[in-house]
Amino acid sequence: MRKFFVVLGFELKNYLKDKTFLIITLLISVFGGLALFLPSFFDLSDVLPVPAHEGKQQISEEQEKEKEEEVSIKYYISDDEKLIPKELWVEFYEEGTYQFVTKDKVEQAVKKHESDEAIGFVVNSLTDVDYYVMNKGMMDMDTVTMQGLLATVYQMDFCEQNHIDYATFTQVLEPPIKINENILGKDTESNFWYCYAFEILIFMMIVMYGQMIAVAVTSEKSNRSIEVLVTSTTPVSLLFGKVIAGAIAAVIQVGAIFLCVFGSYAINRDAWGGLLDMILHVPASVMITFCFFGLGGFLFYAFLYGAMGALVSKTEDISKSVSGIMMVIMVVYFISLAQLSNVDGILIKVLSFLPFSSYSAMFARIAMGSVSIIEVIVSGVILVASIVGAGWVGAFIYRRGTLRYGNPIKLKNIWKE
Amino acid sequence: MKLEVKNIHKSFGGTEVLHGISFTVESNNALGLLGRNGAGKTTTMRILMDVFKANQGEILLDGKKFEPSKCSIGYMPEERGLYPKRVILEQMIYFGRLHGLGKKEAEESSKKWLNRMGIGEYANRKLETLSKGNQQKVQLAATLVANPDIVVLDEPFSGLDPVNSQVLKDIVTELIAKGKLVIFSSHQMNYVEEFCDNIVIINHGNVVLSGKLKEIKREFGKDQLVVGFEQLSGDETRQLLETKYSEYVQVTAVTKSQVVLKLKESVEKNDFIQAMAKNGENISFVGNYEPSLNDIFVEKAGDEV
Repeated sequence: MRKFFVVLGFELKNYLKDKTFLIITLLISVFGGLALFLPSFFDLSDVLPVPAHEGKQQISEEQEKEKEEEVSIKYYISDDEKLIPKELWVEFYEEGTYQFVTKDKVEQAVKKHESDEAIGFVVNSLTDVDYYVMNKGMMDMDTVTMQGLLATVYQMDFCEQNHIDYATFTQVLEPPIKINENILGKDTESNFWYCYAFEILIFMMIVMYGQMIAVAVTSEKSNRSIEVLVTSTTPVSLLFGKVIAGAIAAVIQVGAIFLCVFGSYAINRDAWGGLLDMILHVPASVMITFCFFGLGGFLFYAFLYGAMGALVSKTEDISKSVSGIMMVIMVVYFISLAQLSNVDGILIKVLSFLPFSSYSAMFARIAMGSVSIIEVIVSGVILVASIVGAGWVGAFIYRRGTLRYGNPIKLKNIWKE
Repeated sequence: MKLEVKNIHKSFGGTEVLHGISFTVESNNALGLLGRNGAGKTTTMRILMDVFKANQGEILLDGKKFEPSKCSIGYMPEERGLYPKRVILEQMIYFGRLHGLGKKEAEESSKKWLNRMGIGEYANRKLETLSKGNQQKVQLAATLVANPDIVVLDEPFSGLDPVNSQVLKDIVTELIAKGKLVIFSSHQMNYVEEFCDNIVIINHGNVVLSGKLKEIKREFGKDQLVVGFEQLSGDETRQLLETKYSEYVQVTAVTKSQVVLKLKESVEKNDFIQAMAKNGENISFVGNYEPSLNDIFVEKAGDEV
């Protein structure tokens, strides 16, 4: 046990003395923390949907005028038959942003516009519109707005033809319904984004630190220090020391970043108006679950990464050696993300008990779905047992692999020997 | 302490590379493990250090199973085994602590050995910034940091200049004088001759010669003489001997001014010398031939050359 701590201390010092490690941790922590202080010191209400600073001067008439002048034409509309009343155009589109042109000039106007943001509409009838745009964006809402405008005109015509009061009609069509939400379990909608962010974070941690552990093992093999090490202590002490050191380094790095970012947001939450709550206001229970299952999954894979590192003699061969593990991690990652909207489905339930996927699946279920405490305990016990198992198997492969130099060793040959 | 290696066999991928290696070495002694490249020296050392497991055979220390991790042992591998990008003192302390020393003790011992090697000033530098010879000295310092009772050195002199070789020689001599059990392999026979009381020559995974160096030399020099004549070169001496004394001797080797010869069966040394004296030969030197370790090595391991 003493030698395990000696290895652990040496390896940990290796990480903590690494300038890249320190600079990255410091930069992300400081900049992340400082960035979240910005709304407290600067008024960002113009660029972000955050509360304006108290005492902010009202926009003067002159500024208002300037702003009006800044409004430029974006929409080129052809409504030759005047199907849409002028007052509705004003209601749906900001004045000054649209210009009526003839049908044959819409496409040309969009093409010749100074930016790629110009939009063109040719209203053929109340149910048929041609839409022109240079590059269609992912979140394009222009057709939705036009659809709303046409539907309104259509409904007004209908009301007029049938002698129905339009105001009454709209009230019937869209009665003011008040829903008082009483969420007794979890609010999937609000938990979704931080769950999503944590899934990405743990994936990155496993891949990044796993790779670092594999490199550390292979380096000892390539510089032959492994020969002296295996004659001084046991492979179990060596591999466990390396992996636990990697885990501690990861916790220190991610912990420092979390502390700065989450702490900074907690202090400045009011200034942000709760804008980032969906990512940075995480319940303690979710955070604890993330720590347990995330760290567990990390350790499970870290042992396997260490073992895979022992199978090759050159660091450039590591990517080939760990490709199998990478494949499993990627599959788990994509399934977990895809299943975030269905966290009570059978697939994610099964994955939440398997050690190679529980770090991700069980975390998602706890954060967003229905899961009993027994299920969490069973999954936790399986994960812990699997970590120990992975450690022993890893140490076995490590001992056999580290002393065989030359070409990469196949796993089946390790068992055969 | 008595270390016995008994009938070690080792195979890699179905090919046996060691076919029953056996030797014994005791404290206060140094054993020279000799052999050509690929003969099996490093594999034998790695098995000794439990880096590899033997397929057959056993290693005993004072009659009990030898377990390197439980013994006070220092191992210097052939291809070296340190971290190029780590600070020298830091890694020496690490190796010292893995061998059971406390942190302070390991630090003191590390500094002591680095100073002893004449590289104390580099203690806080990264290993990769040192020359090859100095790196080798750091490696030896790391091997000795925990003051081991058994020291196993695989090719310790390779790559060292004469000055650094001398430092290393002094240390090895000191270790032997302190009663340590030293095993080392080398291609440089002069070092082996200088330190080792016992040698083992391995060829193609077999022990082809082992025993006390003095006895081996005596045995190899038996019935052989070295002869030189005034004003005659080695070749002229050979010609003379082959012409006039072929019934007494057979020339086996020629140097610049002397020849090595073997007495023919039933011929006594004195018969040959008297015959030369009777003929009034102008002898400059005559004496018993003692072969160098190099000669013995070439004869025993140089089968394919």
